[in-house]
Amino acid sequence: MNRTTTAEATWRPPASALRAAAQSSSGRIAAAALTISLLLAGCTARQDAATPRPLATDRSATEETATVPAAPAPGSAIPVRPATPLSPTPKNPAPRFLTVDGTAINMSIVEVGVSPDGAMEIPESFNEAGWYRFGPAPGAAAGAAVVAAHVDTTSDSAPFSQLKSLEPGTFVTVRREGAAPLTFRVTGVELMAKDAFDGASIFRRDGPHQLKLVTCGGRWLDEQQDYGDNVIVTAVPA
Amino acid sequence: MRTSLFTAGAVAIAAALTLAGPAEAAESDAQLSVLHGVPGLTVDVWVNGERTLDDFAPGTLAGPLALPAGDYDLAITAADAADASAPVIGPVKVTLAASGNYTAVANLDAEGKPTANFFTNDVSQIDPGKGKLTVRHTAAAPAVDILAGGSPVISGLVNPNEETLTLDPGTLSAAVAAAGTTAPVIGPADVTVAEGTHTVVYAWGSLADKNLQLAVQNIEGLHSAPAGVPGGRSGAADAGTASAGQAAAAAGIGAAVLLLVGGVVAVARKQPALRRTR
Repeated sequence: MNRTTTAEATWRPPASALRAAAQSSSGRIAAAALTISLLLAGCTARQDAATPRPLATDRSATEETATVPAAPAPGSAIPVRPATPLSPTPKNPAPRFLTVDGTAINMSIVEVGVSPDGAMEIPESFNEAGWYRFGPAPGAAAGAAVVAAHVDTTSDSAPFSQLKSLEPGTFVTVRREGAAPLTFRVTGVELMAKDAFDGASIFRRDGPHQLKLVTCGGRWLDEQQDYGDNVIVTAVPA
Repeated sequence: MRTSLFTAGAVAIAAALTLAGPAEAAESDAQLSVLHGVPGLTVDVWVNGERTLDDFAPGTLAGPLALPAGDYDLAITAADAADASAPVIGPVKVTLAASGNYTAVANLDAEGKPTANFFTNDVSQIDPGKGKLTVRHTAAAPAVDILAGGSPVISGLVNPNEETLTLDPGTLSAAVAAAGTTAPVIGPADVTVAEGTHTVVYAWGSLADKNLQLAVQNIEGLHSAPAGVPGGRSGAADAGTASAGQAAAAAGIGAAVLLLVGGVVAVARKQPALRRTR
């Protein structure tokens, strides 16, 4: 049994090679699937009752001499737990205030989720930023914490309009509820076209911890009443 | 949204892709979990004649166990049986598809006879900001309603059926009652529905023996990202004109704005490929 598992492992290509091969297409597939799932969002609230395939319990099934794959590893390797509800995992302290050195960005952070249209909620107040509460918090062990705000008001620029000119090395401070403030260091500013929005890269829940400050930018497109791009500042723990 | 671009065919293809499992599943192995839902019976679980779970107790969940796609024989014997030749449930043959996610449940049928059910778990991506809750009736009991906060959210569920809800994340006060009634036969108990997680709740045990209870399985990592970050309102910060800078200067921000305008121009020059032509 163990021997079979080992033999199988030896002919498998290295996982890294498989991942590299899969990566180029997986992003597009995920994006397409996301788009479609949003289109379908209105009708996915409730699924029809499904009937599982009942298993034959007839002893005569023993008679079958089917060729079957090797059995799994011995029992000691399989996690077993009481099927009781999991106690909620402790949350990281929520971010409450954002300051970016050398800018007018000195604003409260509120917790936000998802709008009915599937986009991230953005606080109405021009002097508030929103933290995507379903993703990692600043200070989390992994993944990207996303804080976003409007780039403008109805007549003027808002503080986050300064994101696009941040220099690498700029310090960002996040004050938190009941925890020490965190300092991040800007590593880059990118423009992402809205018609090529890559949500999975911004709202990443695993991998190295980063802070992402997001707003709109680029040209204002009258016909769409929207900017053409998102401005995304990436910062790492300083 | 540009709905017209998407044909029914595209929808079907995307649906098939999402059914293929989360992007994180780098390997094509199937994931098999096993739930023991037969009260008062400690067992061993055998896969293809090998003892895979030893002294498996009621109310416990094992796995997930990664297995190559294929057919497997599952058998459940009394604990410490010498081999799988005298099962109390099975043997049954199950087919695991590549990247599939399954839960095999040893449970009582509606009449109280030990049996096994093989459920396919939905591991498709969940809309951002939502969680999924599936309830499976695997108890020796007639049709039930599932109540959340005292109101029925699933009605007339019979063994061995399941029903799935997509919900806002939160903690539900969940109870199970005989169909058409609101007097709980299980609970109320707190059930947490987390964002991006498929929570599967099993009603198991026996109504007649007064040992009905809930078992919970969580399948995490099914989250998806929001569709966008709509951070613009009026165009007042348009990168391509000086009007935004002039407006800000008029508002009295002063020298900092001159730097800002310089930055705007620099960014605009650096990004020709991203600029739209009108």
